[in-house]
Amino acid sequence: MSRSRTPVLLIAALLAPALIGLVVFRLYPVGLAISDSLFNMVRGQQIFVGLDNYLSLLTDRTFWKSMQVTLWFNLLINPIQIALALGLALLYVQNFKGVTLYRVLFLIPIGVSLPTAVIIWRIMLTQDGLVNGLVGIAGVPAQPWLTSESLALYSIIAIATWKGISYWMIFIIGGLQTIAPEIYDAARIDGVKSWQRLIFITIPLLRPTLLFVLVADVTINFLLFAPIFMLTQGGPADSTNVLMYEAYKSGFIFGDMGRAMAIIVVVVAILLVIVGLQFKLLSNREARS
Amino acid sequence: MSTHAATPKKALSLGLKHLVYLVIAFIFVLPLWWAIVSSLRPNSAIFADIFPFTPKALLPTPPTFEAYAGVFERGFGQIIANTMLVALVTMVAGLVVNGAAGFAFAMFDFKGKKIVLSAIIISFMLPFEAIALPLYTVTQQLGWLDNIAALIVPSVANGLAVFLFYQFFSQVPKDYAEAARLDGVSWLNILMRIYVPLSLPTCISAALLLFIFQWEAFLWPLLAMPSQQFKVIQVGMAAFQQQYQTIWNQLFAVSVITALIPIALLMPLQRYYVQGLAGAGIKG
Repeated sequence: MSRSRTPVLLIAALLAPALIGLVVFRLYPVGLAISDSLFNMVRGQQIFVGLDNYLSLLTDRTFWKSMQVTLWFNLLINPIQIALALGLALLYVQNFKGVTLYRVLFLIPIGVSLPTAVIIWRIMLTQDGLVNGLVGIAGVPAQPWLTSESLALYSIIAIATWKGISYWMIFIIGGLQTIAPEIYDAARIDGVKSWQRLIFITIPLLRPTLLFVLVADVTINFLLFAPIFMLTQGGPADSTNVLMYEAYKSGFIFGDMGRAMAIIVVVVAILLVIVGLQFKLLSNREARS
Repeated sequence: MSTHAATPKKALSLGLKHLVYLVIAFIFVLPLWWAIVSSLRPNSAIFADIFPFTPKALLPTPPTFEAYAGVFERGFGQIIANTMLVALVTMVAGLVVNGAAGFAFAMFDFKGKKIVLSAIIISFMLPFEAIALPLYTVTQQLGWLDNIAALIVPSVANGLAVFLFYQFFSQVPKDYAEAARLDGVSWLNILMRIYVPLSLPTCISAALLLFIFQWEAFLWPLLAMPSQQFKVIQVGMAAFQQQYQTIWNQLFAVSVITALIPIALLMPLQRYYVQGLAGAGIKG
């Protein structure tokens, strides 16, 4: 009976704008990236080159160096951000007098956009900047945070982490709120210590939330662009030249859209593999326990 | 009734607790605080009191608003107005478009609903950056380069916003709609009279999401507006930084304005923002 009342036209009208938008501006570009990566522009004409753009990446030293930087960057930043976001979320949900003020302050970086954070931190990290002044109190000599090959990538990790963890904290708070307080009460009565409660109760019960945060965080960091564009432009000596920036450089500075699209396709493909693996590993373990 | 031995111990642990929170809060607040302080200094005094470090480095002495005046002379007023326009239009259009889709998914059963819904959820896991370069080609094909439409239209349909509305409308008992249908009320009226008012908190979460998304957009406006006739805030700020690396006090002034507008929105509405995102994470 309810089937006959289903207003097909109404459903179509309600769904159409969102679906058309997502198809034209999300799905179609993905297809276009794949097809554009099979062409090269030669004297203003698009010429089909098959897999040439991909094959030349295989022997492309800049590409492999960039791949290495991207993977190392992600291997560091993602675990750091999630561990810190979890710690922050655990502090956020505590209840005591005055915690409300701290909660508001913990949320400040969400309002600060990444480019804004980058500008402020760039000046803080200059040779005569505030950070060198503060480490100077401890007797540490001034460091070239953004201009040294050995420090620039880690400075970018620090800036992105400062900006990012409050955002991920919010999702973890949501997960923490779904854990019934009775479980903790029971554990407390049984004399379970607080660090044991964290490892044996909180983290296992948070697994779905942590999986979501991990996947979303990896995706964002894999495609991180603004700090590299604004601070280092991939340098010094390509030490911060992540694949996303290499693709941008290729397409918009050197005008080689074919290579740029090939890199983007590779980046998104790697991302899909990583995300797939995370799902597999983490949800398997959940099924077993 | 507590014994004397327990009280100092308790006070100590409370003090320790506040110390931990204070240190973390300090790290979060420090950059913004220093930016505010520095934006109120003359440019020559930005790095004063840092070597050797004295607490005076964290206070503006004496405060001056010359940096803010300078920033507006450079046309940042117009840039802020541009960004507001883009963000507000996206927000309003996004609420209508994504709200309607979320409503349809929650209220009706139709063929292929599950597949379409999971495709939408996957689409919000794929960030804008991943498709920004090919989207440039799409925009070129549409003839929208350097047109404000290129900034607004692709950002209106938002998978996360659809999902937020879907999630909310699914929780509303279907009896409301069925009772109204029996009374002969049209679907459109049901949507507007019953569901829209109920969904106000979700509307606020989704509106904040869309607004902040546009306010923070950087890579896309950089690509879509090659001639930079129409500048939005993040790109304008980055360009200013590249051009005038050492006008620090004005750089700070722009940064402070750029940060304070979304913070001013988030502070009173943080409850909705936190609840909206946190809920999406659990189900997502």
